[in-house]
Amino acid sequence: MTTVDIAVPVPARRPTPRESYLNVAHTVKSWALTTDHKRIGILYLVTTVFAMALGGVFALVLRTEHLSPGPTIVDAYTYNRLFTMHGIVMVWLFMIPSIPTAFGNFLLPIMIGAKDVAFPRLNLLSYYIYLLGSIWVLIALWAGGCDTGWTFYTPYSDHSPSAVVPTVFGIFILGWSTIITGVNFIVTTHTMRAKGLGWFRMPLFVWAMYGVSIIQTLATPVLAISLLVVGIDHWFDWGLFDPARGGDPVLYQHLFWFYSHPAVYIMILPAMGVIIEVVCTFSHKNPASYKAIAYSTLGIAFVGFATWGHHMFVAGISVFDAAAFGVLSMLVAIFSAIKVFTWVLTMRRGSVVVTTPMLYFFAFLFLFVFGGMTGVAVATQSLDVHWHDTYFVVAHFHFIMVGSTMTAWLAALHYWFPKITGRMYPERMGYVGATLVFSGFFMTFFPQFLLGNAGMPRRYYDYDPQFQPLHVVSTVGAWILGAAMIWTLTYLLVALFRGERAPANPWDSRSYEWLTPSPPPKHNFVREPVFARDPYDYTVPAEEVHA
Amino acid sequence: MKEPTPRALLLTLIVLLVLAGVSLAFRFAHLGDFGFAVALGIAAIKAVLVALVFMEITIEKPTVRFAFAACLSLFALMIALLVGDIVTRSPPPLGPPPGTEARYKG
Amino acid sequence: MREHVAGHFEDIEKQAHAARFGMWVFLGTEVLFFSGLFALYIGYRIEHPRGFDVGVEHNTLVYGSVNTAVLLVSSYFVALGVHELRLGRNRLSAWLVGLTILLGLAFLGIKTAEYLHHFADGIYPGGTGRFFEEHTDPGLKMFFTLYFCMTGLHAIHVLVGCGVLSFLLYKVATRSIGAWAPHPLAIGAIYWHLVDVIWIFLWPLFYLVTGHVR
Repeated sequence: MTTVDIAVPVPARRPTPRESYLNVAHTVKSWALTTDHKRIGILYLVTTVFAMALGGVFALVLRTEHLSPGPTIVDAYTYNRLFTMHGIVMVWLFMIPSIPTAFGNFLLPIMIGAKDVAFPRLNLLSYYIYLLGSIWVLIALWAGGCDTGWTFYTPYSDHSPSAVVPTVFGIFILGWSTIITGVNFIVTTHTMRAKGLGWFRMPLFVWAMYGVSIIQTLATPVLAISLLVVGIDHWFDWGLFDPARGGDPVLYQHLFWFYSHPAVYIMILPAMGVIIEVVCTFSHKNPASYKAIAYSTLGIAFVGFATWGHHMFVAGISVFDAAAFGVLSMLVAIFSAIKVFTWVLTMRRGSVVVTTPMLYFFAFLFLFVFGGMTGVAVATQSLDVHWHDTYFVVAHFHFIMVGSTMTAWLAALHYWFPKITGRMYPERMGYVGATLVFSGFFMTFFPQFLLGNAGMPRRYYDYDPQFQPLHVVSTVGAWILGAAMIWTLTYLLVALFRGERAPANPWDSRSYEWLTPSPPPKHNFVREPVFARDPYDYTVPAEEVHA
Repeated sequence: MKEPTPRALLLTLIVLLVLAGVSLAFRFAHLGDFGFAVALGIAAIKAVLVALVFMEITIEKPTVRFAFAACLSLFALMIALLVGDIVTRSPPPLGPPPGTEARYKG
Repeated sequence: MREHVAGHFEDIEKQAHAARFGMWVFLGTEVLFFSGLFALYIGYRIEHPRGFDVGVEHNTLVYGSVNTAVLLVSSYFVALGVHELRLGRNRLSAWLVGLTILLGLAFLGIKTAEYLHHFADGIYPGGTGRFFEEHTDPGLKMFFTLYFCMTGLHAIHVLVGCGVLSFLLYKVATRSIGAWAPHPLAIGAIYWHLVDVIWIFLWPLFYLVTGHVR
């Protein structure tokens, strides 16, 4: 039978400080020119946190503006630029890199028993390209930012007076970082597994990284060309989507969404990878079906490419195409459902321990199912006619991106905090943080379903007075969510310096990253690892790890 | 499969140049819509030759070939549904714009 | 400095396989990068059949065809260069790679002359220029704008290819790669071949396919 426990504090053990990847060298140069995948993961983690904070500040200003109809704290042009830059910073500077570049980089080689990724110098290059692209977007921000929406729809994006060209160029640069990381992870997974480690004995987080790498490597080039054309059209006035010169603006949407729909799977697959690891560890159980998780990951990766037209139901595509996309969009939801059932069944007959990561999992479960079902709802073409471009869609995707992906990111931050830093975070503060995050999130975005269904359009600066009460609730929720994030990042920062020293395996997990000390040595394992058992075998006790 | 010999490489180049010549000749034939299929068909044969002989794709492990094939399939998917949209659109409510009647036939 | 086995690979063969795998995946991304423009070409061709036919007929067939031959021959030379390097004949390989680069530069020179020819005819990207005042079909504007966009992007890839091959030429000539580790040149060569393959498709689309509608 299933048992549930509140987390027991880990007994204090203070092993003598020894050499790890963190203290092997202290110079700025050793960090700036590192080819160690763990240090590169840290560089990405720190940068993406700053990106999230910036995107979050934009969101708070937007929500505060909506406290009352008409002008409240910004004018309409600024509002348009704010929601555009919020979307761009959140999607490309935070969400897409967040889990793969920080946790994927750190953990992927360790989980397959490798010393590093296949191309360590390319890995460092990918970080600097990411940094350059991010700085370019900041420059665009300083130049006033873009006001076209993160989707850059033509023909407006061809003529907008805002800083379109530096913005698209910055994203163009960022895309190459994503592609290089994707290629690196794919080749690493294929060629660098430890002796005897077959595909179906790897930790499932590796499958998630592999799946997301396939999507991001194949989809991002299409974004690159779409944005390149927008940039060329804007700068040189070539009119590739200008109807007067033979152009068709709907074709832009086809190209943009061909990337941007798989992009949402880029954002959710890593989160799902975190979740399965968290569920198994804190249920002390193997997954209900390893292959169900592995294959559904591939299913999402491939079928997700075929669904992009559901963003264009009312754009003027043909009835035939809309019908095709509607059916395909329903199909891709099946794989997510398989995962949800597998996660829940995994807990059955396990010994569940409710730690902070597990609390985030419970939040994830509820919000992902809620958000996912509303996704199936808007994929229904006849219903989408009513909901398209309203707050209903905005609520749907925030339930997935914030309620699911960011929640899973927070779970990952806590779950792997001991492994990465060698310290424990304060569990009770984690409980408070998780509760605040969930409450703030729900209060912000649930009312938006109601707003959208009642007819509140998205990206509108002004609104009719009857929408105000729900907007006020949503804004209060946003401030609570903001406070929750500050609370969480603060105690994590303090724990970095003052937390209890962590043992190699504080969670009594069987996954392979816990077979090495916390934090790991520079070359990941003290001796060449041979993984004699599978990563979810809770029928045997966890091994002793010697530094 | 082994790496191609210099003779195989030269032979391939000659075939490629001949095919290019054939394609050029067809430019002056009056094939109408069929011309599209002929020109792209010859181009596809040339591309496959380059991939097989010059790029030695046959020597690569199956995983690599599958990876590249996946990319081509995605391209095909993009074309299928994008073109599928254009060719199945109904005329706008006020009738087809001048010069586009042919597109909405049937 | 001699190419050696990087610390995290077991042997040079594994490293070579990883490098080739990585390059093929990257080539896949290049195909998808151009895919969007090919999709636009096909879409717009269906929307403007007459304009595109007229565009092909007004395009500079001789320049385009000569360039096709130039690239095909250059592919042959670099493939032969890889073969020679595998046999340890670095000097011969270096000459062949050098010839490839020269042909690549020749391609770019011919392309530049061709663009100047277009400008002289009053054909500019964006559908501007006196040619479009005389021929007002909007499909014609789209044809030539796509032409400049796709061949321009391709030309940038040819330039990058010349740069990559120049770097590899240096490595071949200084014997830092050779029979024991020929794969860096092999992967540079397959990049060049892909650039050739893209032109193999650009040439018929912009120079050959016409229904002879006038």
